[in-house]
Amino acid sequence: MLASAGVAGTIGRALLLVGFVGAVFGAFAAITGVRNNEPRVIRLVSRFAVLAFAAAVGAFAVMEYAMITRDFSLAYVQKVGSWSTPPLYNFAAVWSALEGSILMWVLILSGYTLAVCFWMRKRMNESLAAWAMAVMMIVLAFFFLVSFVPANPFAAGAPGVLDGPGPNPLLQNHILVMFHPPILYLGYVGVTVPFAFAIAALVTGRVGEGWLLATRRWSLFAWGFLTFGIALGSWWSYEVLGWSGVWAWDPVENASLLPWITGTAYIHSVLVQERRGMLRVWNISLLVATFSLTILGTFLTRSGVLNSVHAFSESGIGAWFLSFFAVVLIVSVFLIGWRGDKLRSPGIIDSPLSREAAFLANNVLFAVFAFIVLLGTVFPLIIEALQDRQIAVGAPFFDRLTVPIGIALLTLMSIAPVLPWRKASAETLQTRLFWPAWCGIAALVASLALGAYGLAPLLTFTLGGVSSGAAMRQVVLATRRQGLRGLVGRANGGMIVHLGVIMIAVALGASNSYSKSQELSLVTGTPAFFAGHSFELIDVIEVRDDRSISVKARVIVDREKTYEPAITKYTRIGMNVGTPSVKASLTSDIYLTLEPPVRQNSSTARIKVFIKPMITWLWIGTGFMALGTVLAAFPGRRRRPTEATSALVPTSEQNAL
Amino acid sequence: MKQNKSVWLLMFLLVGLLLAIGATRSGSAKTQQDRIDSITSNLACPTCSGESVFVSQAVAAQAIRLEVARQVSTGTRTDDEIISYIEQRFGGQVLLVPRATGLDSLVWSLPVASLIISLWFLIRAFSRSRKNKPSAPSAQDEKIVEQALAESIAKSRQS
Amino acid sequence: MLSKYLVKIVSGVVALILVLLLWVLLISKPSDGLVARSPLLGQPAPSVVGSTIDDQPFELQRRKGSWVVLNFFNSTCVPCINEHHLLVDFANREATNENGAELYTVVNDDSDSAVRDFFSKNGGSWPKLKDDNGTIAVAFGVARVPETWIIDPNGLVRLRVTGELSEGLLEAQLDKLRNEFG
Repeated sequence: MLASAGVAGTIGRALLLVGFVGAVFGAFAAITGVRNNEPRVIRLVSRFAVLAFAAAVGAFAVMEYAMITRDFSLAYVQKVGSWSTPPLYNFAAVWSALEGSILMWVLILSGYTLAVCFWMRKRMNESLAAWAMAVMMIVLAFFFLVSFVPANPFAAGAPGVLDGPGPNPLLQNHILVMFHPPILYLGYVGVTVPFAFAIAALVTGRVGEGWLLATRRWSLFAWGFLTFGIALGSWWSYEVLGWSGVWAWDPVENASLLPWITGTAYIHSVLVQERRGMLRVWNISLLVATFSLTILGTFLTRSGVLNSVHAFSESGIGAWFLSFFAVVLIVSVFLIGWRGDKLRSPGIIDSPLSREAAFLANNVLFAVFAFIVLLGTVFPLIIEALQDRQIAVGAPFFDRLTVPIGIALLTLMSIAPVLPWRKASAETLQTRLFWPAWCGIAALVASLALGAYGLAPLLTFTLGGVSSGAAMRQVVLATRRQGLRGLVGRANGGMIVHLGVIMIAVALGASNSYSKSQELSLVTGTPAFFAGHSFELIDVIEVRDDRSISVKARVIVDREKTYEPAITKYTRIGMNVGTPSVKASLTSDIYLTLEPPVRQNSSTARIKVFIKPMITWLWIGTGFMALGTVLAAFPGRRRRPTEATSALVPTSEQNAL
Repeated sequence: MKQNKSVWLLMFLLVGLLLAIGATRSGSAKTQQDRIDSITSNLACPTCSGESVFVSQAVAAQAIRLEVARQVSTGTRTDDEIISYIEQRFGGQVLLVPRATGLDSLVWSLPVASLIISLWFLIRAFSRSRKNKPSAPSAQDEKIVEQALAESIAKSRQS
Repeated sequence: MLSKYLVKIVSGVVALILVLLLWVLLISKPSDGLVARSPLLGQPAPSVVGSTIDDQPFELQRRKGSWVVLNFFNSTCVPCINEHHLLVDFANREATNENGAELYTVVNDDSDSAVRDFFSKNGGSWPKLKDDNGTIAVAFGVARVPETWIIDPNGLVRLRVTGELSEGLLEAQLDKLRNEFG
């Protein structure tokens, strides 16, 4: 490291080192303390957690300071900093490339570590808590190390640089870059907490339901943020990228979707273990899979082996993540094998017509879903490794294979919520599904009346009707019985989440199947018509600022309001970024993009118009999912956690709830 | 109960009929533009990631769209031939849908295989559960379940 | 009994898949730029018929007999601007050579006037080909400018360079190709 790196660089590197040492000592204290049963040593763990967190906050603050003061002695600031970046985007520029995003990972993970430490402070002497802390500290140490060695944001840059290009243009033209990465990371990194407890359960041999109940809310928290982060990402894709889609099946998107899929499987199957004590190996495997998929995803997208909108294409870091991924897998598989006997389930499924059977089917579907996404994402690498040939696996492939899975999941969502545990009779099912079935028929008739066609979307709408009927049934019954309390708790909150998922499924079905588009060559003063809407060009104007030259076409839609699709050329980076303009409504969006080539002050412009039905319901559905997750996190109807047939668990852990 | 059953039968018939009607009717007639759109939706924009040529605003995508439109309008090439033309120029990474030949076919067959295996697994789990039913949960387990269920029912009635 | 084997089989298969995955990931190299692959290498160059921005007709097939260098260009693209002086040097070197290569700029998504302005400001008197609909770019599979291609005297594509040229790259590659393919 060069001496020329400024004060910020030195302080930042020192803080990272302090954090690393703190995390290593923390892990060491937790392990030795619990093995020798020394409460005094264990008490040190929380101090080290505070130290590591303080170091991470300090390092992040130093980075922000360096970015805000444009300290071009740092290589990272040279890469993403620029005097011409507006303050807000400059603040977000810290996490707009590899090193900074790892730093944010460190910050969030150290925050989680401290939070778990605080939450467990009274019970740190228990082996489960101590081992969980040890696992978290080890993971934290790894990330501090990655941030210190291969991805050091405080590395000295070339001397004499006075200005830089600024962040990727796509990361400086929408306010969402402030929120999308931190929120997604809260989910992505939060998975570490239940994973740490799962490993701790394996190490200590307390593989009963105690650890599971203890981390229930942490899992839900991480899952909620992951969901919300993914949804924000697709909103960003729709609003910023100008290709009118919400999900491109791009490797980085898949990397965030994979842990979401296994995580979703987990929050369902965990209920089976809580109630019936079954699926223990499976649940632990799901957590291991979820955590290792976050690491694998980071490898895939950050090592540059796959190209992507989000990829920062840095080499060198790949080996670190790949090794860590291998270590996580080997250790977990070894532990599961070692504890195999204790993991044997006491319960068994009594009938295929039971809630646990439905959860099992749900998990099987989610597992296949995850496999398809993973296979499609890494398949180009496999072909390249075996035949030295480049291929792509794109959206049409994923759509074709995942639509049937989505429909099967909707079918389960229609039936599962009305199924009782253990066993149901056909009569029960008939009675309980009576109204939901009519909802489905109503949805089918309504969509046919509105002109819908095609088997897959119609099935989606019908099953959407049935499953929302089933979800509503649960919510209505619960609120009738318990008033407003019937809205909280996992079962009821979960149904609100289901309603959100159904809205999203219906919105995707409609927008994927019935979108229309047309390129229009507009001339000022002569309106053009498409799909019953009129488009009239007023003029084409040019807006310049420090960073960019933006050409906007001002178009009046339906003689009402002016929309301004634009193409912006970021001169420092030499990249064109299209900015769409969207007229949104509950029934359908009109999405306008300006097509190249553009000439300012011209009286003509080529506009592409997309009519996208029901897109707004994606965002409403996301709101429902978020609301439902919050409701589910509140304690519902009080019940003892060991109700029904949970296996015996240490009593102290039950008190956690 | 009997009446109930016939209502269900009627419902299924109704849904099947309506689905059949909906599935067979189509949006509108195929135009040349539809052909261009369907070809370009299966081609990847070479400068973006994940976006198809159909939706992308990139210059390269625009050029490919125009080329496809030109070849469609001359009418001498089939859709596959046009796609092959673009593939020969830009390489296999512009095909969004992998081919179903050679090693590439694994990307199609493995998911299907995984689905079949997991379904078999599921059916096996269910059938075993039925067979083992009498011996599966111990009497003690049953008792705990019954007691807990009764308790929870009682509690829910209370509140 | 079967279930005991089943667990072993399933875990064995899972382990095998993971090992394979790790192996694939391990040997995957980050993609690097510059001298790039193309399905066209060693193949006859696509036919290019058009005109220059000064309305002179142009046909690539008629250039057989000499080495041809095509540079895909846009006057606002930063790497194109950066590499321009290297192209000027290259053109000067080839001009002194008896069998010097012919250099052509293929204009990508740019107006003729902007291109003229650029060349009058930055030098370079070689012909600039119009490519208004991107037909030439698509025929060569050019995704993002700049790209530089070398075509041999028999009309076969010999080299593709994606991205900004580095100092001396074009000269070195051309000399190598001359030795190899005469």
